[in-house]
Amino acid sequence: MTAVHSVALMGLTGHVVEIEAWVGGGHPRTQLVGLPDAALSESQHRCRAAVSSQKLEWPDQFVTINLTPATLPKAGSHYDLGVAVAVLNTHASRRLPEAALSRTVLLGELGLDGRVRAVRGLLPALLAAVEHGFDQAIVPAVQLGEASLVKPLTIWGVGTLADVIEVLHGRPVLLPAVPRAAAIPSQRTLDLVEVVGQDHAKRVLEVAAAGRHHLFMSGPPGVGKTMLAERLPTILPELTVPEALEVMALRSLADKVVSDRLELRPPYAAPHHSASAPSIVGGGPRLARPGAVSLAHLGILFLDEAPEFPAPVLDALRVPLEKGEIVLSRSEGPVTYPARFQLVMAANPCPCGNAATAGARCTCTPMTVRRYASRISGPVLDRVDLQIRMPAMTRSILARDLPPGETSAVVLQRVQEARERQARRLAATRWRTNGEVTGSYLRRHQPIPDGTEILDEASRRGTLSARGIDKVLKVAWSLADLDGVDVPTPAHVYEALGLRRGEQGARS
Amino acid sequence: MTPSAGDETLTRAATLALASVVEPGSGQLLTQVRDYGPVEVWSFLLRTSADSALAERARRYRPAVMQRDMHRHGLRFLVPGDPEWPAGVDDLAWSGPVGDVTGGAPLGLWVAGPGNLRDLTTRSVAMVGSRSSTATGDVVTVDLSAGVAERGVTVVSGGAYGIDAAAHRGALSTDGATIAVMAGGLDEVYPSGNAPLLERVRDEFLLVSENPPNQRPSRVRFLARNRLIAALGQATVVVEAQVRSGARNTVAWAHSLQRQVLAVPGAVTSSQSETPNQLIREGEATLVTCAAHILEALAPLGDPAPRPETPTLPIDGLSPGQKAVHEAFPARSARSVDELAYDARVNVRECMAALTVLEMRGLALPTDDGRWRLVRKPR
Repeated sequence: MTAVHSVALMGLTGHVVEIEAWVGGGHPRTQLVGLPDAALSESQHRCRAAVSSQKLEWPDQFVTINLTPATLPKAGSHYDLGVAVAVLNTHASRRLPEAALSRTVLLGELGLDGRVRAVRGLLPALLAAVEHGFDQAIVPAVQLGEASLVKPLTIWGVGTLADVIEVLHGRPVLLPAVPRAAAIPSQRTLDLVEVVGQDHAKRVLEVAAAGRHHLFMSGPPGVGKTMLAERLPTILPELTVPEALEVMALRSLADKVVSDRLELRPPYAAPHHSASAPSIVGGGPRLARPGAVSLAHLGILFLDEAPEFPAPVLDALRVPLEKGEIVLSRSEGPVTYPARFQLVMAANPCPCGNAATAGARCTCTPMTVRRYASRISGPVLDRVDLQIRMPAMTRSILARDLPPGETSAVVLQRVQEARERQARRLAATRWRTNGEVTGSYLRRHQPIPDGTEILDEASRRGTLSARGIDKVLKVAWSLADLDGVDVPTPAHVYEALGLRRGEQGARS
Repeated sequence: MTPSAGDETLTRAATLALASVVEPGSGQLLTQVRDYGPVEVWSFLLRTSADSALAERARRYRPAVMQRDMHRHGLRFLVPGDPEWPAGVDDLAWSGPVGDVTGGAPLGLWVAGPGNLRDLTTRSVAMVGSRSSTATGDVVTVDLSAGVAERGVTVVSGGAYGIDAAAHRGALSTDGATIAVMAGGLDEVYPSGNAPLLERVRDEFLLVSENPPNQRPSRVRFLARNRLIAALGQATVVVEAQVRSGARNTVAWAHSLQRQVLAVPGAVTSSQSETPNQLIREGEATLVTCAAHILEALAPLGDPAPRPETPTLPIDGLSPGQKAVHEAFPARSARSVDELAYDARVNVRECMAALTVLEMRGLALPTDDGRWRLVRKPR
């Protein structure tokens, strides 16, 4: 008996599953074993119909289909191809070539008419197949583009079950997919130059990008918080190909439409505040889907109107902020998804948005305003190095003859150089950016000779807490890295002190 | 009358004998000694057939035993007029009574340690407080004690747990001088839990007691000891003390001696700060929060603690860019960072740094809506 191979996913990790079928004795009946979920248990019915529709024969005896390892829980509809092929292979007259079966993974859902349909999580499944030494894969034709991102595999796209049999016999109906030679550079549709004015806010955005610092922006509606956040990915260094593949694999698991271009621009996820907790942190039955925190992995998680998010959702950000991953507990065992995102939060000063804006009338009570500001939990804010209060644009600034701002490309250049400097300096550590480094490490290993006095003075004046000092140190290093100097100067320390403006207000 | 060398030896022997049998702070006997001299009083005590406890003790006194005990424990006995006799304790002759203790200057003092009591107490401060002090109280005491000790002021305290121990530790931590005044004989240190600390005070400076060796501390001896602590310092600092406390008694002695009383205020919720807060409130003590305040109080003709420096012109020393940002402000209304940067002809980065400098100098302030404005100059 020759086994057919498919892949079971636990989070991003794939395990090879062998599918075998046995025919003999008893009443005509089919039994599927190996801890299937509902979608997989129904596989036999789809397969049976699909096999018949393709003028192939389903054995009219007792058929046992076994998916091993037996103890590994299996979920999803992508085993259909494997199940159908395993059953068809039981016909002594129509044996499929053993060599082909042993080096091929089959992934795809079957329609009753024999069509092969798209499946969720194709990309991580294929990446796992490469890892386990397979050299070819049969995938739904509609997902050929996505599959071709996985390089060393020969990918065959199939439209029907009949195509699958042909491919396995070495008579493919189509040529294999051409592996993408290289990732396509990201197209930048948004640009920082489109934001008029707000030079100070743009500077903060650049610092956030340089040091990968989490950012909190507060200000009245219409001041440009969302515009700026959306443009943050345009000034972030591109992902490496393995990173981009990981990001895509996560998208593929979330059942997102995955393009056939490998997107190198860091992802940007902006869940709405009414979104459910599972959609933000991840969840769902059986095969837990990654949530927004994982879709923002290696990119930006933007929470607009952050205080409007339910407290449990905001609190759930603490673990990924700390660990860079999220663990979802399932009955089948915990599923871990990476979630190393850069957090950007925006908030209005009050529910109506007009508090503290000169000339605007705020309809909120003072108590509401205070409570609104304190909605975001301390532990989350503690990880936010940059806090900026954006004043409403006034006519006077718009009337000034402003020079055009810089384009994203110009800023990105500086950010990239700053990142390289950080990577060199932190080469011996587990960190790559100033935003990740701990304050104690900085104080011990990266003293700022000219900064101590300034910080002492600031803390003596009571404007700087102990935790505030760590944030200022981290930001001061990013400022120095942007300027290409080896150690922050007093000017950097002073500017860094100014960039944690708003901390008091947000914590009140 | 100038006593001859023989007289002096006799006087010293008689004083030692009297001090060995008299309960400290017994006013009446002290008056007699002042009027008749120690030799006369001692010989009377030995002669009298009166059935008094004091006479009984006098009869049992053995000079040789005393000499042996003093030698064994390395003690010296000081009498008034000795070069080492501390000037401060003579003021006790006209002070008191406080509570059960009538006061008066001590007949003599036993001391142990290499220090010279007179020299050590020319600039000295007594630091007293609760035995069950808070952690804050201990930290503050160590800070104050270290701060005055490193300026050459001897810290006098009672060697007890809590504030006393912190006071000694603070002085020792900066190679400053400290003296512990004991309520019992110096043959044994009390409390034993502070033995390592007190032994260090003895080995480097001085332990002082009015009580002969083999005398255990008692309530009256503690109260009498407090008057010595108050007398040996030019001022008395109370750090923490509950409503009823020995520190309160020391304060009363300091007042009686017309010495300054200083008190460190504390949280109104802390029972340990009730006494200092109350002393300040009732005008019985001067508020001190740092060593400089204590040094100011000790200075004979007013050597005021340095006031926090204020530059004559707050914009002195600003860089041209920072001055430009300062000048870009309108007199009253607020401006955003962008507006200020534009008007001052600097980039936003310099502007942000300049605003931080202006804020730290008290010249500018951020407003609630993210703008900045000038701080109005006080008239």
